[in-house]
Amino acid sequence: MHGTVSANPAPEEPKPGAPAVLHISQLSAGYGPMRVIHDLDLIVGAGQRIGLVGLNGHGKSTLFYAIAGLTGWQRGSIKLNGKEVGRNRSQGPGRYTHLVVRSGLALIPQGDEIFHGLSVEEHLDSGAFTAESWRDRANRKDRVLTIFPHLKTLLTVPVGRLSGGERRMVSIGRGLMTDASLFLVDEPSLGLAPKIGRAVIDALMEIDLGNSAMVIAEQNVALLEGRVDRVIGMHVGKLTGEASAALSLSGKEKG
Amino acid sequence: MDIWFVISNAIVLATIYGTLAIGISITWSSLGLLNLGYGFVFAFSGYGAWLTAQYISPWGGAVLAGGILSGALCGVLINALAFIPIHDKPNFTMRGMIATLAINLIGTQALLWWFGPRSKSLPPIFGYWKVSLGDLVLTGDKIGSVVTAILMLVIVLRWMQSSRRGLEIRAMMMNPHAASIVGIGVRQTSFFVMSITGALAGLAAVLLSNTYYISPFGGLTPMIKGVSIALCGGLGSVRGAVIAAIILGFNEAITNVTIGGRYVLITQFLLIIAILLVRPRGIAGLLDRAREA
Repeated sequence: MHGTVSANPAPEEPKPGAPAVLHISQLSAGYGPMRVIHDLDLIVGAGQRIGLVGLNGHGKSTLFYAIAGLTGWQRGSIKLNGKEVGRNRSQGPGRYTHLVVRSGLALIPQGDEIFHGLSVEEHLDSGAFTAESWRDRANRKDRVLTIFPHLKTLLTVPVGRLSGGERRMVSIGRGLMTDASLFLVDEPSLGLAPKIGRAVIDALMEIDLGNSAMVIAEQNVALLEGRVDRVIGMHVGKLTGEASAALSLSGKEKG
Repeated sequence: MDIWFVISNAIVLATIYGTLAIGISITWSSLGLLNLGYGFVFAFSGYGAWLTAQYISPWGGAVLAGGILSGALCGVLINALAFIPIHDKPNFTMRGMIATLAINLIGTQALLWWFGPRSKSLPPIFGYWKVSLGDLVLTGDKIGSVVTAILMLVIVLRWMQSSRRGLEIRAMMMNPHAASIVGIGVRQTSFFVMSITGALAGLAAVLLSNTYYISPFGGLTPMIKGVSIALCGGLGSVRGAVIAAIILGFNEAITNVTIGGRYVLITQFLLIIAILLVRPRGIAGLLDRAREA
């Protein structure tokens, strides 16, 4: 993450010639005998904020996990900032995840992938994994706390005792502690009260992406409508093309 | 029956067993590995300390350091042999147990072959002084053991609380999946875990060398006790391991003075079974991940 929080983000145009932040081609992934992602292609340019919509069980989370190397098996090419991080592998989920994360991925997973015994502050620290972000963690924490001021009062509380919305804030905050160039946010509003879910989405929209990019998987299309650069549909493990024209009539393209 | 004698013995045993149990507990919860090679680490570091005393210096501090360092070395060795190659293969829990058990058996046989079956004893590490408090006589050995073990545990736990590696280890203990999502490399962290827990076993080996002389198979009983204390306290919980170590330390000391030392394992396992009947997840065991989430 670069720069500060601004109220009206103006995503930069992707520079011609520069590699896309994320370039997936012919990706298949799954667990054991089950194939969840089918020969999928996706390009995400710098500064883009993309919505990924689709029903439960159609592979949104699996796509994110495949990028992080956490699925049971996968094949195909995944390029992060032009660097190949995809592997053809049949076992060892999570074995290379830390390397993918180090090359610039911040995965903000669905639900409560948290460390329930760590305090909020330790949790944010755990997101600062590179030596550089570890040294800079005080500043980064301040930045996260300006996005989620509510967490200021909870810094020493174990995360296991927080409410669902607070946990989600911690989880997103943890992702924002990094220098990542690609933020994958999985169902940020899932299981939250509508008001809190909207607040979480608002916070995500206010983050200045700079040259990084963000993909938000979300079922509640209304929350994303007109606020992301593209909305892509996902259906049985395949991307079904740009859904933005159909979904966001009042979107940026028109306004 | 001298009540103070029992209590002081119980405390000594509790700190040493606690050290072992915490090592096993940390390994289990952060790496998912039930390290059955711990007995070998124990014996190996005992011999390390003995060699230090023979060839370098019989001074207590040097012997202690020799034991701790060889324990850490042996932990790293087990990690390289039994964790790194198989940790992401299917059914790792069982394979890891078998691999570490194999290392234990091979290792103890190697020690037997190399050093022979005669047990060795270490020079007194804390000297021969004693303190009398009323009718309670505390030997330097007891005080030294307790202080050293507690000091080492405090240092290790402090390190886990405050350092970055410690944070990584604790994160892995709580949620390995989420740990890899935030970029914590399991293989890298495992070396830290295994060297730290190996060092704890090395410390326990040196401190226990007065009770269990250093012999190739000397690590077996302490390992069984360590594993059972860790189970009893709830695998993965440092606090539980400490409580269980205190309970079982008292049990051992009381059994020693009432019905005799050879019944210790019997009363100990009866007690553990009783505790696990009441609390199947151990004294302070973490709830299931599924229930916690």
